[in-house]
Amino acid sequence: MKKTAQQYSTGSKVLTWIFVCLSVVWVFPVVVVLINSFKENGFVNMEPFALPSGESFVGLDNYIKGLTFGNYPFFRAAFYSLFITVTSVALILVFCSMSAWYIARVNSLFSKIFYYLCLFSMIVPFQMVMFTLTFTADQLNLSTPYTIPIVYLGFGAGLAIFMFLGFIKGLPTEIEEAAAIDGCGPLRAFFNVVVPMLKPTMISVGILELMWVWNDYLLPYLVLDRTMYMTIPILVQYLKGSYGTVDLGATMAVIMMSITPIIIVYIFCQKHIIKGVAAGAVKG
Amino acid sequence: MAKSKKSVNLVQAPLRRLAPIFILPTFFAFVIGFVWPFIQGIYLSFCNFNTPKDAKWVGLSNYMKVFQDAGFLNAFKNTAAFAVVSIILINVLAFIIAYALTQKIRGANLFRTVFFMPNLIGGVVLGYIWSMIFDGILKNYGTYLTANGTYGFWGLVILVAWQQIGYMMIIYIAGLQALSEDMLEAARIDGANGRQTLFQVIIPNVMPSITTCTFLTLTNSFKMFDQNMALTNGLPSVIQDGAKINVTELLALNIYSTYNINKNYHGVAQAKAVIFFILVAVMAIAQQALTRRKEVEQ
Amino acid sequence: MKKLIAMLLALAMVFSFAACGGTAADEPETTAATEADATVGTTEAVAATEEAAAAGRVYYLNFKPEFDEALQGLAATYQEQTGVEVKVVTAASGTYSDTLTAEMAKSEAPTIFNIGNMSGLKDWDEYALDLTGTDLANELTTDDFNLYNENGELKALGYCFESFGIIVNTALLEQAGHTLDEITNFESLKAVADDIHARSAELGFDAFSAAGLDASSSWRFSGHLANMPLFYEFRDDGVTEQPATITGAYLDNFRAIWDLYITDTAADAKTLSTSTADESKAQFTEGKAVFYQNGTWEYAGLLEAGMSADDLAMIPIYCGVEGEENAALCSGTENCWAVNATASEEDQKASLDFLYWMVTDAEASAVMVEQLGAVPFKAAPESSNAFIVDGNEMLADGKYTVSWAFNHTPNVDSWRATVVTALAAYSADPTDANWEQVVTAFVDGWAIEYNTVNG
Repeated sequence: MKKTAQQYSTGSKVLTWIFVCLSVVWVFPVVVVLINSFKENGFVNMEPFALPSGESFVGLDNYIKGLTFGNYPFFRAAFYSLFITVTSVALILVFCSMSAWYIARVNSLFSKIFYYLCLFSMIVPFQMVMFTLTFTADQLNLSTPYTIPIVYLGFGAGLAIFMFLGFIKGLPTEIEEAAAIDGCGPLRAFFNVVVPMLKPTMISVGILELMWVWNDYLLPYLVLDRTMYMTIPILVQYLKGSYGTVDLGATMAVIMMSITPIIIVYIFCQKHIIKGVAAGAVKG
Repeated sequence: MAKSKKSVNLVQAPLRRLAPIFILPTFFAFVIGFVWPFIQGIYLSFCNFNTPKDAKWVGLSNYMKVFQDAGFLNAFKNTAAFAVVSIILINVLAFIIAYALTQKIRGANLFRTVFFMPNLIGGVVLGYIWSMIFDGILKNYGTYLTANGTYGFWGLVILVAWQQIGYMMIIYIAGLQALSEDMLEAARIDGANGRQTLFQVIIPNVMPSITTCTFLTLTNSFKMFDQNMALTNGLPSVIQDGAKINVTELLALNIYSTYNINKNYHGVAQAKAVIFFILVAVMAIAQQALTRRKEVEQ
Repeated sequence: MKKLIAMLLALAMVFSFAACGGTAADEPETTAATEADATVGTTEAVAATEEAAAAGRVYYLNFKPEFDEALQGLAATYQEQTGVEVKVVTAASGTYSDTLTAEMAKSEAPTIFNIGNMSGLKDWDEYALDLTGTDLANELTTDDFNLYNENGELKALGYCFESFGIIVNTALLEQAGHTLDEITNFESLKAVADDIHARSAELGFDAFSAAGLDASSSWRFSGHLANMPLFYEFRDDGVTEQPATITGAYLDNFRAIWDLYITDTAADAKTLSTSTADESKAQFTEGKAVFYQNGTWEYAGLLEAGMSADDLAMIPIYCGVEGEENAALCSGTENCWAVNATASEEDQKASLDFLYWMVTDAEASAVMVEQLGAVPFKAAPESSNAFIVDGNEMLADGKYTVSWAFNHTPNVDSWRATVVTALAAYSADPTDANWEQVVTAFVDGWAIEYNTVNG
């Protein structure tokens, strides 16, 4: 018995070491960006894996340059990214959960049609609608960061309603009926009774949509008035694409600035994020 | 019966009156963001257009052009090959890692955190980072990422594996944790060895996770765009048998670049998008049908 | 939690209603723009918008990233002076045609846009206003750089032209014991470069800066250097418009000059594919290379990097063609103004007025010359750019201009990508078989792209 315990622990130790090595491999790309963000432009391409040395080290210069690089202030892009993400996710959570509850409780042809359309939209790739969505969004003046969340609500509705519906269908109707007997209108019943029960699904839908919207490149690139608004992914692509003046050091700094906040948020909320992903996947 | 009638009266009727608040906003957004663009997309695939306003009906000619397009066929082959390789690689590795992490090892939570991290970074940024890394490594061997299709293909596979293994691992861990101790205990008592336990007890019981992950990796591979664009942008671009081919281009990128050739190609790109949609839809439906049949069998 | 959700709901509704309202009323743009510039006095913004609506608006979709800052300044000045709204937007390099396509489809489409060459004109002919006889066209000093359609209508107006060649650090050249006068054709260029390369260890510098094939730099070769074989072929064959096929008659000359670039250099030919424009420029400005192929537009940047005007000269690109002793720089333009014919008449007029102001106003002309170099307008002052001065001297000596034959390239970005792929492979392993790939990319690629665009 003792012997097996010992064997088990050596095996476990070996495994731990393997995982330590693997983790190093996993964070390596981010480390490469970090070290290069402190190097002078010319050195990034020449020796991408070398640590900054006396000759190549430029301190925070790249970060300072990165803030205004490419004639587009980084904070502007960061603000748009943040605004679009938060608003879109809020819209999706509020309106899709309401719609899902409506579809679950109101037995009408409209509910059925909407439900099947949602199911259908889940198998349609973005490429199918990307060109036409761009035209529609332009005609309806939706091509600003302040209105694009409506596009996200529309394109993201299918999956969100499907996930909410999956959960709501399993809820007993008695509580809602009791609330109705107590004179609670549908709005209050929804927010006081249904929403608290939906909380786990909200988190899971919220996280999936958050990761989608924040990192999305093509939809905002096509829909937003690209002559005025850039999100972070668009900015990075823009910096990479400019002829003649590819400042790799500053680009690395921009990348660092864009991923650091996310990684910090992740470290603090990882339990929710990981739970959300696991729950979302099992249902989806 | 009485219950549902009560429900109709108490919940459904007032809710129905509030439809403008509960469902119409979403529905309008849904029409703008999906239904209308979809219908218009089908229509425009039969047109020559610069904008929808000046669309001219051309029948099937866009579709004929698609099937004569060597670049599209090449992108299709690439996408299929890429999907097969990445599905196998990602799922096998994610499963192994998940399995190991559900054994008692020190720092399992930390490792899980690290492996999931790449999912937080957008595809464009990832592509950029990895192109720098690959070029940095290949430089030592006197070559570069876009020197041939092989580097670009495997580069993309590595990038995507690095990104998605963590995600799939989370799903597998959830599946493995749901396995009851009793079942494993019973297998142990029956004298099953490790291998037998794995193949006869564990894998059949995490089958739902496996289908989910396979499906996710399949659709992810088919829809892959950002990483493809940022890593190689389809390069190298060569002339083969009298046709021009972007060797590492996948379907989504091919559709996008077709649209940008000039305005006579807008309709062709839209026709490609429709074909692409049908491909993805057929796969999704087939997968659903398969899972349902399995569930019935069990 | 409840409160939070209620707030979010309220917020969301406000946004959705705001959007719906905007749509229903069909307000002319700027709802969001005004919101974004919340710091600007509201009344002021509204007043400006109204005035602009009456006088027409200008939306200039700029092609030249390096001109962006100055152009924004000019637009602001003009807007201040006249109250006409001028919006200037610059597309990221390499994305102009995407951006133009997308913008043209929008309700607020550009009123001034760029057409780069004849094939661009084919795409945009119906969108371009006929500029014949406008005040703007009458200000031109030459129509060499204009684009005319099949009916002879002036559809795009060349507003600046550029020249490229081989930029020489004359101080280093002298240090190596050579002078500019020695170089009159390919043989003499090769002799000088070979000599410098052979003694590079002792001299501390090499002949050519890196011929980088990264996207930031590859256009110097797939576009500009490739102009040499195209120009001579078209000259022999009397080609004046986009040909469906080319023969590649001068590709051996192209190979000769390319071999020189990748041999007489410190750069590693195997990894040119990842070598950027900045690296190449840095080698030149830091005095590590004598020759650097680029254009007149680089002049300001080189001075900024600390080079002295006295040490800079530009010579023609020589590639071993008979009679090339008489060649001048490669001059031409990809910068032609077109006015959107589908815009409203007020907008067209506002746009023409703005352009007219740019080329006639003393200050604006000065900015144009300073930023763009050679500007073919009557009111334009003399340029201080040494490369332009060199170019003008050659023309005064009666040498022939090597025009921009590459403007005829069909589906240009795609054609160049194939050429770059082949050039990179050849550089890594310079065999005859690999050169065949370059030839294929050139000749077959041309025919394929021509069919793609015209088929």
